[in-house]
Parts: sequence; C-alpha cells; structure tokens
Amino acid sequence: MKADTNLSEGSGIPAEARKILTQIETDRAAYKRKLVISFIILAIAMIMVLIALKLDFRFMKNQLPFIFAGMGYTLLVSFMAISLACFLAVVGALGRLSKNPVFNSIASSYVSLIRGTPLLVQVYMWYLALPQIGKALEGYGFTGIQAFFTLPALTAGILALGVCYGAYMTETVRAGIQSIDPGQTEAANALGMTRSQTMKRIIFPQALRVIIPPVSNEFIAMIKDSSLVSLMGVWELSYRAIKMGRRHFQSLEMLITVALIYWMMCILLQYFQEKLETHMARGDRSIR
Amino acid sequence: MMENDSPMVKITNIHKVFPQDVHVLCGIDLEVKKGETVAILGASGSGKSTLLRCINFLEEPTAGTVEVDGITIEAGENDKLRNGRIRDIRKRTGMCFQAFNLFPHMTVLENIIEGPVTVLRQKKEAATAYAEQLLQWIGLSEKSDEHPSRLSGGQQQRVAIARSLAMKPKVMLFDEPTSALDPELVGEVVEVMERLAKEGMTIVAVTHELHFARDVADRILIMDNGNWVEQGPPEKIFNNPEQERTRQFLAHIL
Ligand SMILES: Nc1ncnc2c1ncn2[C@@H]1O[C@H](COP(=O)(O)OP(=O)(O)O)[C@@H](O)[C@H]1O
Ligand SMILES: [Mg+2]
Repeated sequence: MKADTNLSEGSGIPAEARKILTQIETDRAAYKRKLVISFIILAIAMIMVLIALKLDFRFMKNQLPFIFAGMGYTLLVSFMAISLACFLAVVGALGRLSKNPVFNSIASSYVSLIRGTPLLVQVYMWYLALPQIGKALEGYGFTGIQAFFTLPALTAGILALGVCYGAYMTETVRAGIQSIDPGQTEAANALGMTRSQTMKRIIFPQALRVIIPPVSNEFIAMIKDSSLVSLMGVWELSYRAIKMGRRHFQSLEMLITVALIYWMMCILLQYFQEKLETHMARGDRSIR
Repeated sequence: MMENDSPMVKITNIHKVFPQDVHVLCGIDLEVKKGETVAILGASGSGKSTLLRCINFLEEPTAGTVEVDGITIEAGENDKLRNGRIRDIRKRTGMCFQAFNLFPHMTVLENIIEGPVTVLRQKKEAATAYAEQLLQWIGLSEKSDEHPSRLSGGQQQRVAIARSLAMKPKVMLFDEPTSALDPELVGEVVEVMERLAKEGMTIVAVTHELHFARDVADRILIMDNGNWVEQGPPEKIFNNPEQERTRQFLAHIL
C-alpha cells in the first residue's frame, strides 16, 4: 500500500540498511498517529468551550436554514467576482509587460491604486460614491447617466471584489508569465511566431500551471471577503447571521454558526485545490 | 537552378553594441553559399552566439545589413513591414539552441508540427505526415507521443532539429548544439547534423565538436573579440594556421 517503500524482498539491500529504513517508516507512522490524536484533542477542547459558553444550540439549529439561504448570494458574488478578476488579471498582466507606454501605465496605475486602498473603501466607492460621479457628469450635459452610475448592491459588490482581486492577481499572472524560461520565447520567435501566437501557444499554457495554485488561494480568500457585500444589504450568509443575531440578542450563536459555515466551505475548497495541485504535479513529472 | 552563385546568407559590416558600450561584434562580414557548411569557432564570449542570433534577429544588430535567401534587412530601419520581413527570414531559418528549448507542454509530435500549423497555416494532417517522416529520419518514431522531459538530451536535440526542419528552412543555424550534452550523447546529434550537411542543407554552426569542424564543415571561421581572426578550409586551419591567435585557440580545444 505504501508507495514510498517499494522495497522488494531479497533485492540485495543489506540488513542494516533495511533496519534503518524500517526505523524511518516506524517513526513516520508514529508521527502521523500523534498528529491525528492532537487534532482530535483540539476538536474536543473547542466543543467543550462552546458548551461551556452555554450556547443555545437549538436556536442555532433553528436558524440554520435561514442563514443557509444566503449561500446562493455568497457563491454568486464569489464566482462572478473571481471570473471578472481572472479576466482583469490577464489583461492587466499583459499591460504590465507591454512595451506600449499607454497600456503599461494604465495597468501599473490600476494595480498601484487598488492595492494601495482598503477594499472597504473601494466597496463604498462603487456603491455610494459612483452615483455622485454620475450626478457630476449630468452637470456636464450627460443626461440620464446618473441612473447608469447608480448600481444595485449586488453589482457594486461584484465589481468591487472583482476589480480589487484583479489587481492582486495581475501581479500573480505577471510573475507566472515571467517565470517561463526566455528560451521558450526565443524558440517560438525562431520559428517565426508573432508575439500573440507565442503568448497564446507557448507562454500562457506553461504559465497557467504556475498561476493556478495561487489563484485558487485567492478564490478561497474571495469567499470570505464576499461578506463585505453585506454592508450594502445583500442577503448573503454573514448578513443573515448578523441580522438574526441582533434581532434575538444571540449574536454569539449566529456568528459562530456563520463562521463554521465559512470554515467548512474553505476546507472543502482547499480539498479540491489540493486535488488539482497533485493532478498538475503529476503532469509536471511527465513534463520535466 | 538560377542564381546558384548568389549567397544564401550574406552579412555585411554587422556591429552589435550592448548597453554600456559593450562592443561585441565589430563589423563582421560573412557570406555562406547555398549548400555550404561553415563552422564558427572561438573562445567563450567572443561573440559567436550574438552573430548567429543577429542572422534571425533574435538579437537586433546595431549596424549593418543581413540578407537571407534574398530578403535584406538593414539595422535600425524604420519600416512598417520590417517585422513581417523579419518573420519571413525566420521562416526560412532553422535554429537549434544549446539548451534545446523544446516546448515542455507539448509532445514530441506537437513540438514538430507547431511551426508548420501555427506559422505556415498548414493542415494538421499534412504537417503530421511530414513530422512522421522527420521523426523516422532522426530515428525517434517511437517517441512521437512522449513529452520532451522523458527523452535524453541527445534525443531532445534531435527533436529540436526536426522541429526546425519541419519549417523546410533554407538554412540551419546551430549554436553549440552539443555543449549541454553528456559526452556519450554528442555522437548521435553530430551524426544527424552530418547527414543534413550531406543532403545539401546550408549550415552555419557554432561548435567545438572536432569531427564536425574537421570532417563535415567546408569552411572554418575563427572569431575573437567580435572580429574574424582567420578563415579557410578545415585542413588549412587545423594543419597550417596563419595566425598566432588561431594556434593558441586550437591548442586550447585539441
Ligand atoms: N544581452 C546581452 N547584454 C549584454 N551583454 C551581452 C548580452 N548578450 C551577450 N553579451 C555579451 O556579449 C559577449 C559575447 O557573447 P556571446 O555572443 O554569447 O559569446 P559566445 O557565444 O562566443 O560565447 C559576452 O561578453 C557577453 O557577456
Ligand atoms: Mg555562445
């Protein structure tokens, strides 16, 4: 079963070497056993703390369906925003690497501005400040533009998160592209490929393997940051939990409940991320 | 048939200056006839790679003229069609690198058909058929569906040669194609290069591989500090060099 000890019997490995190998194997098994025991003790301790706090578990259970109903918004916001972020990241990275001064300066300013300001401020910018910009523009004769600049909460949230994460991911994508050996570009150029053919056929497919793990990390972070749209009254997970907690003066129960829901979602996503990474690593071995 | 005497490659007065006034090529001339095989030798850092890379504009010459198969490009020209003409030169020029630079995310076959399909817009079936002929010619038919990482260095370099040949180039440039190889793998690559030369390919090779330089090349050029020191047929260069610098260099590699 253990793939890392494929010692066939009688393969000429001296007895003392085999003894050391067995010792290493025993140590490793012991470590794993102790690790599992530690985790179990930690979990029990946490449950005991929750019990000691005299939480109203029945209330938590009764409110669960109401909170879970916000899952749809949380996932919708996260998926839409990460899609937007991926698109902006690719365009942004090409801009940051571009020799065109206009394109390059726009991309660099985008990254600098967004990374240099709090996400919270950005969320309010999209939601509360944008209509005012629309109003100012109406003053310059763009009639009807204010309605266009007044965004529904959901849209504002998706734009805020997508644009913000797009800026961070721009740097991830740029680093991924730059990590590819310049020899690859030279080989493609020597065949007569254009710049865009080289990017599309040679560089990007290779960069993708480098980019996917950090991007799935960003996605996990995004799930949690999507709770910021609750500030604008979108009925997603945390909004519902906070509302119910306040109404019944049982915020502790509701916050713990919603925290556990986020945690479970992230554990699930992390599991898929690890699967994806081992899958890609397998491809890597056949490639390197 | 016609213009049989016009050179395949003609380089006139090429200079290359890198930033901080690093003068790497100092007015190099080179003419290579159709079907000729020339070997360029010289100490490390003398500018051999830079010269080779100026032929297909992987490196932009600072001054001078490059002509390949009748396409002429001047250094520093400002012409909208220039990039297109550079690509035209590249389509007619195969290049093999010291580090092979195969595409790791593609199989051997995909590597070979990439140029013909993407650049020359050939049909995939036609490109594959020709690629299979090339694989047979380099003796790696059975590796067609492997990824490059599964091949030895010698096999990878042979695939890189096939990848260049798939474009049906008029001239092949080799930049120390065997320098990164374990000694026992050098022979298989040189053998392929030798067959290529025998079949009439025009070849410009930077190499210190003695058998290739002495027995395959028609002409040897010795470079030092961005200038030609001496050139001539292999027998003369090896047995009867005129320049002291050539003698020193040969003593070093022999
Ligand atoms: N991109 C570059 N920028 C600055 N200097 C360079 C660059 N490429 C090569 N050189 C310099 O040019 C000289 C010649 O390099 P090269 O053509 O690679 O020599 P060779 O192939 O004969 O060993 C070296 O001194 C090297 O440091
Ligand atoms: Mg070199």
